[in-house]
Amino acid sequence: MTPAWTLISAFAGALLVLLLPARAAGLARVIALAASIIGAVAAAAACLTKLQRLDAPAWSFDKPWIPELGIRFHLAADGLSLTLLLLTGLVAIAGVLFSWNVETRPRAFFAFFMTIIGGVYGVFLSRDGFLLFVFYEIVILPKYMLIAIWGSTNREYGAMKLTLYSIGSSALILIGLIVAYAASGGTSFDLNDLASFKYAPALQYWAFPILFLGFAVLAGMWPFHTWAPTGHVAAPTAASMLLAGVVMKLGAYGALCVAMPLFPQGFVEWRLVIAGLAVIGLIYGALTALQQKDLKFVIGYSSVSHMGLILLGLATATHWGLRGAVLQMISHGIIAGLLFGIAGRVVYARTHTRDFSALREFDLWRTLPGAAVAFTVATAASMGLPGFSGFVAEVAVVIGVWHSYPWLLLPVAVGLIVTGAFSLRAMHRAFFPERHALAAPAPPLPPLTWPEISAIALLSIFSLAIGIYPLPWVTLIDDGLRSPLFQSILSLP
Amino acid sequence: MNYSALFIQLLPEAVLVITALLLLGVAVAIEAKTQRPMPIDLTIVISAMGIAAACAALCYCPANLESGTTLLAMDPLARIFKAVVLMLGLLAVLLPPARNEIKQPGEFHALLLFALTGLLLTVGTVNLLFLFVALELASLSLYLLAGFSRSAKAAEAALKYFLFGGVSAAFFLFGLSLIYGFCHTLMLPDIAAKLATGPLPAYAVVGLVMGVVGLGFKLAAAPFHYWAPDVYEGAPATSVGLIAAASKAVGVLVLVRLLLTGFALAGGSAAWGAMQPGWSLWLGVLAAVSMVFGNVLALAQTSMRRLLAYSAVANTGYLLVALAANGTMAAGSALFYVVVYGLATFGALAVTAAVERDRGDDSLGSFAGLVHRSPLQALALLVFLTSLAGIPPLAGFVGKFVMFSAAMAETTTHGTPGLTWLVGLAAIMSAISLYYYLMVLKQAFVREAADPAPVAMSTSHRLAVLVPAVLVVGLGLFPALLLSPLAAALKATPGLGKQPTQSPPCNRQLRTN
Repeated sequence: MTPAWTLISAFAGALLVLLLPARAAGLARVIALAASIIGAVAAAAACLTKLQRLDAPAWSFDKPWIPELGIRFHLAADGLSLTLLLLTGLVAIAGVLFSWNVETRPRAFFAFFMTIIGGVYGVFLSRDGFLLFVFYEIVILPKYMLIAIWGSTNREYGAMKLTLYSIGSSALILIGLIVAYAASGGTSFDLNDLASFKYAPALQYWAFPILFLGFAVLAGMWPFHTWAPTGHVAAPTAASMLLAGVVMKLGAYGALCVAMPLFPQGFVEWRLVIAGLAVIGLIYGALTALQQKDLKFVIGYSSVSHMGLILLGLATATHWGLRGAVLQMISHGIIAGLLFGIAGRVVYARTHTRDFSALREFDLWRTLPGAAVAFTVATAASMGLPGFSGFVAEVAVVIGVWHSYPWLLLPVAVGLIVTGAFSLRAMHRAFFPERHALAAPAPPLPPLTWPEISAIALLSIFSLAIGIYPLPWVTLIDDGLRSPLFQSILSLP
Repeated sequence: MNYSALFIQLLPEAVLVITALLLLGVAVAIEAKTQRPMPIDLTIVISAMGIAAACAALCYCPANLESGTTLLAMDPLARIFKAVVLMLGLLAVLLPPARNEIKQPGEFHALLLFALTGLLLTVGTVNLLFLFVALELASLSLYLLAGFSRSAKAAEAALKYFLFGGVSAAFFLFGLSLIYGFCHTLMLPDIAAKLATGPLPAYAVVGLVMGVVGLGFKLAAAPFHYWAPDVYEGAPATSVGLIAAASKAVGVLVLVRLLLTGFALAGGSAAWGAMQPGWSLWLGVLAAVSMVFGNVLALAQTSMRRLLAYSAVANTGYLLVALAANGTMAAGSALFYVVVYGLATFGALAVTAAVERDRGDDSLGSFAGLVHRSPLQALALLVFLTSLAGIPPLAGFVGKFVMFSAAMAETTTHGTPGLTWLVGLAAIMSAISLYYYLMVLKQAFVREAADPAPVAMSTSHRLAVLVPAVLVVGLGLFPALLLSPLAAALKATPGLGKQPTQSPPCNRQLRTN
């Protein structure tokens, strides 16, 4: 199975779901699950093959598309792409499982869902700037629809805000890509060709921030992060999982694999600014999460905080920093999926509230012990406790920071401590509240269903597996970082 | 050229005129016999068959590559664009006017065919006077089509369209006379040759400005767009479809021929930091004004037709960005974009017409719950509006991307910013435009319908929605199908593609395989 099956399965799944007759609408979730599993298995198989033979040439598919402009349908997968494909596959499976109970318009729901998955796969596989941008933008409309139709709190507002941020940031990406294309002679949109051209330093100085900002908005960089909490809270569970789990990673991936390699000198000029904003985002997100009353808002702001860590890793421009950033992408993808799944599907669907003071009455650790255990595991992973994926990623980023900006370690440490604080607070308030001894016993809640248990198990196992044995993941990421794209960044003074 | 050769050269136009006359005759005969107007289905079938026959005739027209010396050109560009115009015309025919709107469908469709004839003739000439006459034939028919339904709104639309159009025609003609005064020729290639001997004198510059202003009216470029919202709102949907798609496509082609064939040397430059007076700069300013004006005003619209009119103004802006680059590839991509824009906007109008007839008005609220009422129409609307907003993988996205890339590549040399200011503005404006398209889609997909009954539509109306939808998706996935022939045709067109010295063509070493 080549990595192309990820892409094919997702889009074929979306199309199949859409074509289902109305009376077979119940099949939609089965098809979506099958398509997600095929994608994840294809990604996993490709990862394993790659691990066995690291020196084998990377899989690629290359056909001319719009020859007049040198645009090609060029897909390729190195180790870095493969790990992110696997992450997408995992989150996709978990997302379908957590949406097993969607009853309103299931065909449209799963068609939009699978389209987002397909677009994300496509971005991770594209090696042509135009193609990457196509997949990057395909995601926008389904995101809007998922939130606006199936969302909850303030859904139309949240959906529109998120969509406008997305489309505005992709306008910046469009400008940046076209500037690079035109300045390099207007012959090819292939990312390798664009990156191998030596742009004038003056052009890099103004073009880099445009392109980088375009990607960074989607990665939730402070102060352009405000779409993320509102959007995540308004979105239905599966969409929150996708948004925080993989769609935000598109921004980080684009910053890493497009913006930085294209304009390395511009990156040098701006990287201190990026590092500063990333640290502010890390601390600001954590502090804001500390004050939230809504469980989902806590997770939303924790995403901003964790994405800050990714951007910080990128800004270090060291091997450890980049490695840590990618590890954090994967780790946060899994953990955010888990947290949103539990908060949105397991808890909210049963209690119809996410407010801490209201949740107190439900006494969740007695009425829903499975969810309490799962949330504790997810919180531990999110805080970066050793043994979980978050720890590995944080350590790698911190080593990177130590190499390039040692003085930034102090604010980073503060941020990580506050992260621990808000995670514990949220867990405590939501699941282990102090109840008055004479309070009426909480009403019983339906136990966890099989789809929920399997999704929780899948994500938790992967988070633990990365935390305990990160070597294969690091090996794959290093394979990607050896690509000529990153040489100009890693050889920086 | 003898008369039989001339007739063969004009076979498609002749077929259209004969069909139109036949239609008039049949209409009179039926009305005299039954005391009732001709059934609309019959006129649609006859007109559609006439256009299909014209398409077939187009294939048999011999190529006439000496377009520099003869009145009628049948170069590859003309052939492709005649096919495009015929296809857009066929779609307009398929979109039936509302039942209570048109009392004499025979005459209505005959006029439509005359308008198409004018547009075809406009496409196939490089003689300025012939161009003007052909354009007027099309315009006069379009004025009548706009006001055909005899409602107050249609009358207002037709009057505004006629007054603005008449003034623009006067501008255009006066401009042509000034140009003739300088060049002593009406053939565009000869004008280019004359221009190579020396710069334009001031009065010829005035002439060129007037020509651009005249075409700006036709294309609804701001600030010459004031007719557009009222015409889009008041005229019968069929007429609006023809004005929005086919007429606009021809307008862009005329602009390309006039400026790139005739006046490429007088282009100047709109590049940042290297601005030189010339039509490039004028188009750049018009483009910026149109994009800002169209998009900002569209944000406030509550009527779908007016929204589409302001979106038309905005889209003219994007097209002018590409034309301002004064390059062959940019012009080719502008021609590609105007076709896919025409398809998308026509499709959106067709869906609007269906909803409007069902609901009685075209406010955004009447689209509520369309996905539950007519899922296929809602899906088509999604395709059209997201294509207009430039979301992949639809043709509108590819068109915009290609236009902006080509415009940048052809104006940027040695790392200069080139048209970055204009392309950047266009990209941001295009992002803003998603907001108002989403307002419509929100009604159609998110809100619930008050009455879940499906929207009633005739078969031809369904075709008028589905065919553009399929084409917009198809051209989005395989843009080379139309873009490559257009680019090749522009390269093969005499006079076009030979770039002046002041804006050297970029080295386009295409990768082969």
